Amino acid sequence: MSRIRMDETTERGIELVVDGIRYRPRVEPDRFLSDVLRNELGLLAVKEACTEGECGSCTVIVGGRALDSCIYPVGLVGDRPIETAAGREDPLFDDVRLALVAGGAIQCGFCTPGIVTAAVALLREDPAPDEDQVRAGLAGNLCRCTGYQPIVDAIAHGVGRGEDRDDD
Amino acid sequence: MTTTDRSGGAEKVDDPRWPRLDGQAKASGGYQYGADLEMPGMLWAKVARSSIAHGLIRKVDTTLAQSLPGVRAVLTGRDVEGIRLGRTVLDEPVLAVDRVRYIGEPVAAVAADTIEIAEHAVRLIEVDYAPLPVVEDALSALDPSSPDVHPGWRGYRRAPGLVGGRNIQNQASIVRGDVDAQFAAAARVHRGRFTAAHVHQVSLEGRVAIASVEPDGAIHVWTSHQYPFGLRKDLAAILDREVEDIRVTVTGVGGGFGGKLYAGVEPLAVLLAERTCQPVKLALGREEELVATSPRMAATIDIATAVDEAGNILARDATLVFDAGAYSESSPAVISIGLMTVAGPYRMNAFRARAVAVYTNKTGCGSMRAPAAPQAVFAGESEIDEIAAELGIDPVTFRLQNALRDGDVSPLGQVVHDVGLSEAITTAAREVGWGADPDPDRGIGIACGMWTTAAGSGSASLRLADDGCFELTSGATEIGTGAVQASIARACCEELGVGPDRLRLGPTDTSVAEHDHGAQGSRTAIQAGNAAVLAARDLIRGMIEAAADHLGVAADDVVWEDGQARGVETGLVVTAEEIARLARGVDALVGRGTYAATAAAPGTGVTTEGMLVAVMNIPSYYAHAARVGVDRSTGHIEVLEYVAVHDCGQILDLPYARGQVEGAVVQGVGQALLEELTYECGVLTNPTLTDYKVPTCQDIPPIRTIFVESVTATGEVTEPKGVGEPAVIPTGAVVANATADAVGVRLTALPMTAERCWAGLRDKTRRERQ
Repeated sequence: MSRIRMDETTERGIELVVDGIRYRPRVEPDRFLSDVLRNELGLLAVKEACTEGECGSCTVIVGGRALDSCIYPVGLVGDRPIETAAGREDPLFDDVRLALVAGGAIQCGFCTPGIVTAAVALLREDPAPDEDQVRAGLAGNLCRCTGYQPIVDAIAHGVGRGEDRDDD
Repeated sequence: MTTTDRSGGAEKVDDPRWPRLDGQAKASGGYQYGADLEMPGMLWAKVARSSIAHGLIRKVDTTLAQSLPGVRAVLTGRDVEGIRLGRTVLDEPVLAVDRVRYIGEPVAAVAADTIEIAEHAVRLIEVDYAPLPVVEDALSALDPSSPDVHPGWRGYRRAPGLVGGRNIQNQASIVRGDVDAQFAAAARVHRGRFTAAHVHQVSLEGRVAIASVEPDGAIHVWTSHQYPFGLRKDLAAILDREVEDIRVTVTGVGGGFGGKLYAGVEPLAVLLAERTCQPVKLALGREEELVATSPRMAATIDIATAVDEAGNILARDATLVFDAGAYSESSPAVISIGLMTVAGPYRMNAFRARAVAVYTNKTGCGSMRAPAAPQAVFAGESEIDEIAAELGIDPVTFRLQNALRDGDVSPLGQVVHDVGLSEAITTAAREVGWGADPDPDRGIGIACGMWTTAAGSGSASLRLADDGCFELTSGATEIGTGAVQASIARACCEELGVGPDRLRLGPTDTSVAEHDHGAQGSRTAIQAGNAAVLAARDLIRGMIEAAADHLGVAADDVVWEDGQARGVETGLVVTAEEIARLARGVDALVGRGTYAATAAAPGTGVTTEGMLVAVMNIPSYYAHAARVGVDRSTGHIEVLEYVAVHDCGQILDLPYARGQVEGAVVQGVGQALLEELTYECGVLTNPTLTDYKVPTCQDIPPIRTIFVESVTATGEVTEPKGVGEPAVIPTGAVVANATADAVGVRLTALPMTAERCWAGLRDKTRRERQ
């Protein structure tokens, strides 16, 4: 993990790879990652419901680790790849998204991108978590609409099943 | 009254999940909310807010702010003096002029090139206050010696029928029968006092709007909002413009729950857009949301219940004091809902209640899911258990004995029909294992009630597109429930006999759609759905005519089936795409539908004052039950299992109805156990999600949702009743009743935190030692 001094970045820019695409925004390293992703790069699959690291709507995966990007300085990312809910490289993203859609686990949807990334990170660590493990993995994601049950069911039982896929 | 005719559509099986059309976009983060919307040339706005809870404004100095590079406009109260907000009482200046009444009240507003510059400018605005004593809560506000929060209250324009007063937004009352005589003749009278704290909607997406004003004065607002047609009218009144000059487009909405029903950030966005001649975006941060946007009213409720020796309720009397904050918004109207729900769904000879919405020096309260009902039912249903206990009657038996049945008169004087209440109560009791031997420190509780379906109108138009698909434009708003994106879409598709891939939903825009009553009152799926079905039938008639014309037969000889027209005699088919081609350039094929729900007649034998609403339309019934466990060492109450039983008549879309119940129950659990806006001297001491505890997925019990479909006298399933709100209502009472069953402690204040429960256990132990 490289340490970048403030004066360097305004010229060089900070190189980021997000969902497989390379960017080099010219930003101070102490700007928060969600702010950079949304407002510099226009990547809106990252939401900012609280900007205090409490709700998880800004969850992204950095170097394989899920974190709250709204309190994470962009200068700490280094050369680790960033993945958001719009991710396409890993088929697990599609499976998780499909499971949430098919499982009725989406209402207003504002928490959903953060849940997608948190769930992907969880499932990479443990492909078959039980409900308690899913709840522990999603404990940092607030949802105000669904009451969580369909989300937990979808992640615990519905990922990669394919049985609820829409007809082509 | 009409319901969708499903005879032509797909069979509905046990748990059919009609796909919501916005699901995939939401899952991939591509769905655009107000929070995500930007436009070319857009400026960013930020509000400067009062740092004191009550005081006179001596001076507002914006010189430094105005001179900051990138600042395009600074507005103070003087610039917009006379512009006021208020649904029923015009008491709220859009920017404070000569005094502030709560911490967070807007004092100035800035528009700048970037949000950082706007935030910096706000910090440079200096306000000189002369502090006044703070009115902290409703009971002290009603004391004549307390400061007057609105000395000019007599001069405020208010809706007819409202009764204002010193520190009073509105007083309302309802009387039916002779309560005093019933109390005098009663075998027993039980009295109790119950309180509920302020809680907040906490929509994950905060309030946000972009306003743009054309050179000719036409106003266009893009906003995350629940009721665009209402907002349009409100903005016209607030800004003294014609309704026709205002266009409201609803963006994607990340939650509403009543917090986005009225004018919020829109007026200031418009005023800044007018001043700068550029589009202006105003979005609130989380702290601003908690500090300054319309929470649920706090309440202190005194209730008395008179019964005869056999356990029949003779009468109930209640006083509901609502702390409604510094500005009225919808509180004068919604206190009526407290009056409508406090008595519960029971037969009684008399009922009397009074409610008051009180001004205090905290943020003005507003509407939140089932406004005023959770507070009222917490009192009413806790009291039912108390008096049942005093009589030695089982709480379920007591409720069933007194529960309204078909043909009974409700406390509001309405004759009720299609009452699935008793079935809901027995089902909830059975499912939670009522009567089984309890484990130590574990208990079971139950609560029941009735709720209304707001009567409004909905409109839709359905167009046959060139490609043979259908484009539905509805005035209704999708705020997450699926009412529009799933339920109405399904109803429309089923009427047409097509799959969801053949339907496109148009924008929610007042220039393009016709009036709809908004995402409130649990009415959208039913009323807007009916409108869409009528529009589909209208379009089908037109398509049949076009097909008949083409086939050279009479329209009577053509049927519409499975998404296409077919000649009865010949069997010849004309597809929708062909009809579209035939109609191109000749006649736009559009169907229109409007559905207006009829409001219920006033109750008989009832005298009301100050109540803007006093009847329930198409009431639904519910009973919830729960098993809890109490940790004596900490006072922590854990809900081990929860059962929610609802009679919502015919269920339109089971998974989405269930989603509303489950989501509402979890909000109820939050209100019952976790959530509280904590104020001290008008200061909100927990303005962050760190300290305002919204339930996480680890805080919730397993929830079972059961719908009982009431049947009419002729055995048909009754019409659909609203489902969006009622499940948030009884949780407090359910958990309080279960806790009393578990450890013999009656908790009377929401939320029932571990501290409060522990203190109750300690006090009980002390009493027993004496």
